[in-house]
Amino acid sequence: MIHIFTYHDNYYVYDTGSGALHECDEKTARYLGGEAVEMTDGELAEIAGLKSAGLLDKEEVNAFPMKPEEAKALCLHVSHDCNLRCRYCFADEGAYHSVREVMSLDTAKAAIDFLLRNSGTRKVLEIDFFGGEPLMNLGVVKAAVAYAKEEGAKLGKRFLFTTTTNGLLLDDETIEFFNNEMENVVLSLDGREEVHDAVRKTVNGKGSFALVIDKVKKFVRSRGDKHYYVRGTFTAKNLDFADDVLFLADQGFDSISMEPVVTDLPDLRIEEEHLAAIEKEYERLADEYIKREEEGRGFNFFHFNIDLEGGPCLQKRVSACGAGNEYFSVVPNGDIYPCHQFAGDPAWKMGNVFEGTIDAALRAKFANSCLFTRKKCKDCFAKFICSGGCSANNYHYNGDIEEPYAITCAMMKKRIECAMHILARRKARE
Amino acid sequence: MIKTIAKPTERKITGCGECRSTCQSACKTSCTVGNQSCERVTREQKIERK
Repeated sequence: MIHIFTYHDNYYVYDTGSGALHECDEKTARYLGGEAVEMTDGELAEIAGLKSAGLLDKEEVNAFPMKPEEAKALCLHVSHDCNLRCRYCFADEGAYHSVREVMSLDTAKAAIDFLLRNSGTRKVLEIDFFGGEPLMNLGVVKAAVAYAKEEGAKLGKRFLFTTTTNGLLLDDETIEFFNNEMENVVLSLDGREEVHDAVRKTVNGKGSFALVIDKVKKFVRSRGDKHYYVRGTFTAKNLDFADDVLFLADQGFDSISMEPVVTDLPDLRIEEEHLAAIEKEYERLADEYIKREEEGRGFNFFHFNIDLEGGPCLQKRVSACGAGNEYFSVVPNGDIYPCHQFAGDPAWKMGNVFEGTIDAALRAKFANSCLFTRKKCKDCFAKFICSGGCSANNYHYNGDIEEPYAITCAMMKKRIECAMHILARRKARE
Repeated sequence: MIKTIAKPTERKITGCGECRSTCQSACKTSCTVGNQSCERVTREQKIERK
């Protein structure tokens, strides 16, 4: 399948079978799109050459991947409590529709043992410290890191740690710990002060921007070349979210992510009627992104990353995040869920780390779910890039992990086109 | 006129599992595999450059 799209005055052809991206003129785009256009012999030879090289109209792979039952990553919910009360929080402002509690070290150790026991031949494992707010249980985070490193070393396995935090409790000691131990740190910040404060409020109902901005800046300054993301959420209230991304870039953050909200709140949720504005906003952001790159002051926006040359292998592309099979969430009482977005929902409980077993039927459901089982993805150009979307989002919006949510799909496709245009402009400069 | 902007690198090994879990890499709401690079290819390219 080929996908032909325009971006301003540029015409692009993306070949889903090969993963190759081409740029062409309007005439060639119309011809490839099936219009009766008179082409010269030379133009037809160019197209034939790409086809014979397997870079155009290449047949797509449609086989199921082999998926070993080897656990790879844990999301450790070290705190089902939070020191903020963000209205859009999918985790019920930290409590996950249950009691506010933190994870004990015994549970964290049992979770790490569970991961090691189920990791098969994998040498690199991951633990993401998550909440609520994980820094409300920093002692357990530190002890869990030490324990994982010690136990992993005995088995010749290495851990990559990540923490997702709102930054409110960041201090010098925590910054040093993060820089020593965390492969990646995700810091929640929504952008402009008024946008951030409209939703991300303290327990007392006040805006939190002024409380966190200097702490996040200090951390990022100390981070060196280690990974971090300043991660925002946009809602129906700030469809001009490009300004928030650019605001964050202007604060000196050069690794930024901005995600559409996942919520049922009527005043915040993204509806179909917002899509046109959101797509224009992604274009506006992409234009400024290119301009800043050209001026030598570029930054990294997560969704505009696309690696068409050294990107993920096919197995990864069709199996996606691995939730419920390679990746699990463990909540404070040791219960296991397919991922953090399913946590607390009894229908998706897969076991408990103290029992050490996994619900085989549920695991099989996730292990057998892949790009090819998501029928709506069959004719989508973005399928080998988005991998069929987020199982949790699919379930929460459509009641089925196999049923992609149309609004998320539309945003994804637009971001991919923007990313391809950015890549093409970058290549043109080289 | 049509010219190729980018095409995938040929690789000998797939499914090695060295790559990081997608959602954990950057965010918690969008599992976007295409935003990643293959860690093995990246590592091997770094070695080649050295």
